[in-house]
Amino acid sequence: MEKFYTTPRSETNRKAKNRYFSTLCLLVCGLVVLTLITLLTSIFITGGSWLSWEFLFAGHLEDNPEESGIWQAIIGSIAMCVLCALCALPIGIGTAIFLEEFQPRNKILRALHWLVQLNINNLAGVPSIVYGILGVTAFVYMFSYFPSITPNDPPYCEVGAEYRYQLKTLGGDFVNFPCPDKNDKEFRITEPLEAVNSQGSPFVLNVVDTRSQAPKNDPVLLKQTVVKGKRPSAYAVKSFFYFHLPFGKTVLSSGLTLGLVILPIVIIASQEALRAVPASLREAALGMGATKWEAVREVVLPAATPGFMTGAILAMSRAVGEAAPVLAVMGGVLVTTNGLTNLMAKTPVLPVTIYKWAGDENVGFEHLAAAAIIVLLVLLLVMNSIAILIRSRYEKMLG
Amino acid sequence: MAGKSERDFEQALLRNYDLKSSAMGKVSEALVMTLLVGCGVFSLAITVGIIVLLFSQSIGFFNNAELAIDPWTFLSDNRWSIGQTQGTPRYGILPLVSGTFRITGIAMLISLPIGLICAIYLSEYASPRVRSVLKPTLEILAGIPTVVLGFFAIKFITPYLLQPVGEFKTFNAASAGIAVGILCLPLVTSLAEDALRSVPNALREGAYGLGATRLEVTLKVVVPAALSGIISAFLLALSRAIGETMVVALAAGSTPTFTMDPRQPSQTMTGFIVETFQSESLEPDSIGYYSMYAVAAVLFVFTFTITLIGQLIRMRYQEVYN
Repeated sequence: MEKFYTTPRSETNRKAKNRYFSTLCLLVCGLVVLTLITLLTSIFITGGSWLSWEFLFAGHLEDNPEESGIWQAIIGSIAMCVLCALCALPIGIGTAIFLEEFQPRNKILRALHWLVQLNINNLAGVPSIVYGILGVTAFVYMFSYFPSITPNDPPYCEVGAEYRYQLKTLGGDFVNFPCPDKNDKEFRITEPLEAVNSQGSPFVLNVVDTRSQAPKNDPVLLKQTVVKGKRPSAYAVKSFFYFHLPFGKTVLSSGLTLGLVILPIVIIASQEALRAVPASLREAALGMGATKWEAVREVVLPAATPGFMTGAILAMSRAVGEAAPVLAVMGGVLVTTNGLTNLMAKTPVLPVTIYKWAGDENVGFEHLAAAAIIVLLVLLLVMNSIAILIRSRYEKMLG
Repeated sequence: MAGKSERDFEQALLRNYDLKSSAMGKVSEALVMTLLVGCGVFSLAITVGIIVLLFSQSIGFFNNAELAIDPWTFLSDNRWSIGQTQGTPRYGILPLVSGTFRITGIAMLISLPIGLICAIYLSEYASPRVRSVLKPTLEILAGIPTVVLGFFAIKFITPYLLQPVGEFKTFNAASAGIAVGILCLPLVTSLAEDALRSVPNALREGAYGLGATRLEVTLKVVVPAALSGIISAFLLALSRAIGETMVVALAAGSTPTFTMDPRQPSQTMTGFIVETFQSESLEPDSIGYYSMYAVAAVLFVFTFTITLIGQLIRMRYQEVYN
């Protein structure tokens, strides 16, 4: 019997092309997977053996990679993350509600609505280093409205700091007393005054005119005696709510700057969360006589909360990995002496630490950087798992 | 009278309800609305703030009496030698711009084709099994902080991938470009896949019905139909690559060069800004401080324009299919 249909050459070619392309696609995708595997393995090989409890709980040491660690950086990263979430979440969710739930009839408001929506996506495209510059001008120097902070001058306007003078008495004891005027740089001891010794007990400072008049036979009194005209050194005792203007290169400035960086991400994620709430819920609330805001407050927001949380965690995980704005605002801090005691302190964070270590000439720090990357990736993994968990529950809930 | 009995009926009904004052409700509604509008205005204010700030401070750079640079020299001179102690400093931004575009070019050469192919594969070809591997891979890749990719570029790509092949410097444009390409890849893939998926199935079925192979359906029907979405994905990736900071700060070096050679170090606009910030001597109102704003203004003009165009293309395209 004669064949009903013979495959023309062109069709074989076309089918072959399809197969080739399919193979090419598979190869390219394999390359992508391979890239990720290479990336992760190279980091684990470089840094894996340097991970230890000592590494987690120690601080950075100059020229000593073996004993350096990242405890301050972990604390700093978490604090920064919480700070930026605190400032970005309310504004971000507010903007999302404005964009999704209120369709204004007013002409001006409608133009605003459109403009804000267009602007959100543009903000998401602004490089993070530009936000860093904005943060430096707006938060660190506050548009040069206040005199800028220098190491010699105390900040222009501050709360929660107590200035004290410290000096060494003839007996070798370090005593301190309150500073009457923090801007007086020429202060000298002229008359007896109330002071506190190194054990913390108060006494009256004994002032003698010259060193030869010192009560050499009485060691207790000698410890409380100073020569007239001695210049004490000033220092500040800062409470946990210590605060000054302008913010300067501090954790607060960088937290606020990171808040600006993640704001568009929060807004976009919150918008999606609001869109996922079924319209029937809103309509039911409105049908029962709720006003627009009542419907949003009582019905829509509770239903969208898990979505907000997912978005918030994803935005925070972006903030944890962001180095450029922090580097711009706070500088490349690797270690601080006092740690994070108030909002006006500096702190190292994980990405900046990784950046500084990776650029260090000491080869040991290369391994430390890889180890710190592993810690950072684990932190991100935990945050993302929480987000995925919340999302899967939420999807079940909304059906 | 019907009217009266109706009113009586209403009164009888209302007696049982404790009605809230509607005046209060109106006030609180207006208050909330104002607050929400305020939030929206805040996000606008950030953009306006960035624009005003960058351009007003750049004026400080051009008005500096010691330097006497005019904007034209700034944009056209091909040497950037700020911070060097010898010779007169020259402020031509071209080396920084060329550095940015060298790295961006390499990144685009990598991320656009690979990203598009991955997107096509995910949307048109992939079996659920391949998808379940590829999709998480891309998501993990998207979540990796940029500083990690910078580390990968100097510690792996340069010594093990590039230096065996040619005379690459320790800091070079190629390694930074490859790392930025890896960074942009998930972005291109996810946006392009969205665009491909939103092409209605009827178009595909029509083409299959005419006897087209899968490749023909993809290349001749689906990709052209999703073209605006794909272009917008490319533009967003481009703007992301131009603005990328940490990778180039680590891997591209801090020498502004004006060449086409990918083996040489090449400082970018973002790299210069980070380096300036890190110098301890940075004071407000110094030349270094102002030059940073001028560079940032140029950077912002590039990224903002590209994002805006991408956005407008995407908005148009959404109108077509929704």
